[in-house]
Amino acid sequence: MFDLFLQFVLNGLVNGTFYALSALGLTLIFGLMRLVNFAHGEFYMMGGILGWVVTSQLGLDFFSGLVVVVAVMAAFGWLLDRFIIVRVRDKGPEPGILLTIGLAIFLTNTALLLVGTAPHKVVAPVSSAPLLLGPVIITKVRIFAVAVSILAIVGARLLIQKTKLGRAMRATFQDATAASLVGINTASIYASTFALGSALAATSGMLLGSIYVAQASIGGLISLKAFVVVILGGMGNFAGAILGGLILGVAEALWGGYVQTGTVDMVGFALVILILFFRPYGLFSIRAERA
Amino acid sequence: MKKTILAAALTACCASLSVHAAETVKIGLIEPLTGSVAYNGVSAVNGAKIAVAERNAKAGENGVKYELVVEDGQCQPSKTVSAAEKLIQKDQVPVIVGAFCSSATIAAMSVIDKYQVPMVSGISSKSDLTERGNKWFFRSAETDGLLARAFAKILVDQLKLKKIAYIGVNDDWGRGGISEFSSQIEAAGGETAMKLYFDHGATDFYTLLTRVRAAKPDGVFVAAETQDGSILVKQMKEVGLESQVFGVGSWATADFVKLAGEAAEGIHAAVPYAYTIDRPENKVFVKEYQEAYNELPGKYSAAGYNALNIVMDAIERAGEATPQKIRDALPATDYKGPNGTFKFTDKGQGYGFDAVLVKLHEGAPQIVDRATVTPE
Repeated sequence: MFDLFLQFVLNGLVNGTFYALSALGLTLIFGLMRLVNFAHGEFYMMGGILGWVVTSQLGLDFFSGLVVVVAVMAAFGWLLDRFIIVRVRDKGPEPGILLTIGLAIFLTNTALLLVGTAPHKVVAPVSSAPLLLGPVIITKVRIFAVAVSILAIVGARLLIQKTKLGRAMRATFQDATAASLVGINTASIYASTFALGSALAATSGMLLGSIYVAQASIGGLISLKAFVVVILGGMGNFAGAILGGLILGVAEALWGGYVQTGTVDMVGFALVILILFFRPYGLFSIRAERA
Repeated sequence: MKKTILAAALTACCASLSVHAAETVKIGLIEPLTGSVAYNGVSAVNGAKIAVAERNAKAGENGVKYELVVEDGQCQPSKTVSAAEKLIQKDQVPVIVGAFCSSATIAAMSVIDKYQVPMVSGISSKSDLTERGNKWFFRSAETDGLLARAFAKILVDQLKLKKIAYIGVNDDWGRGGISEFSSQIEAAGGETAMKLYFDHGATDFYTLLTRVRAAKPDGVFVAAETQDGSILVKQMKEVGLESQVFGVGSWATADFVKLAGEAAEGIHAAVPYAYTIDRPENKVFVKEYQEAYNELPGKYSAAGYNALNIVMDAIERAGEATPQKIRDALPATDYKGPNGTFKFTDKGQGYGFDAVLVKLHEGAPQIVDRATVTPE
């Protein structure tokens, strides 16, 4: 009985890590740019599809492929910000929401047109054979994915907290005018942030595409789950998104394990309603903190 | 005087135009082209296109030509209703084929009843669709109940499965399939270990499979489509679940095998169609489908192909492409398709065609057993 509980918690933690990684780009863009990116799930989808193209079609190994995908998606995010997002900057939240919803529809349908509706596989670097760890079962590829997720999360955190670029980012979003007065090129900072968010979403898309499948129409579902995670942790709160992801993963696993598997998707949304009711700024949010 | 001539000329031109237009009959088709079952919806459209292309090629210069007007119903009742409204009002199609998900088809059934336009579904399998007294609706597909009755005994007797765990997608098709199969299997002497459901588009089944593994069943019954099903059987191997697996859904397809990889080996599936069915009609269909799309047809490709052929047969029997005439011609259907002969009962339920039990072996569905779908 206890073994079963351990297995549920482990499943939940693994899923939670994936949720955290897939929500990170969303919370980052919101926290730093105040832009609610409804096309986040589509960036994830693009990561998965590109991952399939580079590993299955072009025959690259997973890591070289990942580098290519991250580079392509970062460039894509950069261009998107410089040419499109810039037009709705400082115009309030609604234009940004409408723009990203439109972008999401455009990206999904373009992907459907190019690669079709069939699910695709990203070739994983390690095997998916079961691995017994005492009483619980996990696969090598999942351990690998969790490790890469943690690396990506830590890497993003270090980039924002420790590097010059990260400092410039935080300065820009605290006060853009003051930042440009001290010589920061704010336009390129906005674009870098958007590029970083896109690259993170694509990383999770490719990584999870190697465990599940990559599919052109997956974006909507991913966005929904990512929003749950971000609201749980507090919009724009980096550490909150990670904890939010883990909480959602474990809560879903325990609900599915002991109550009902058919209703697990309800768990996240029930949590969101409760949070909005009792702690509208998220579980871990300190109002003044941003990213 | 001049005006009269002009008017006469105009009438002549337009009359000839309308005669010309009447030679092309539009057929509406509603399938999910986006969303979680888009992949299957697209195969149905592909099958339908083959059927139309065949007829148009045969029609020659003077025969009736057909044109498909495809709408995306997204498997959602609301979208399917607007698609049906659009097809009837704007495109003025005299007949509709669709929809995919049973819940969406139910929604569209009220629209076709309102406008009195016949509709044929080759896919929606919820048993009660043809029990609703809607005389404009016909179904050229097996229901969950018909499939369960045909195969429950075989599963219990031949595969020697006693204790069975049921896993199904959380919608009317998955729940319906599980309730029909579990009651038929219990009647044949099987035992139900547990029934679990998951949502469309779910990707992680570890929690669900952990519960199944703990129950130690002899067999696992799965009602799922290609995407969900292939991920599910792969994860079964990952969590070390060694029970026999059998399923309903689009499992006997090349794509399923490609996605599930080695995990597909040895799985049994009860399906109305497999590309390995040995019939001359099927050989022709498989060849044409492969030439057009460079892949093997699946369950839904055949469903789309059959439904369109049944409709076009009815239009030819009707002699005139009006909703009423087509509707009156549909009950006389006697169509030989890749998986057998299709006829309709008084209620519009198709029967007479075959369903097969296949075993996936080395990437191909081998036919283990075959049963003819009979009316009640």
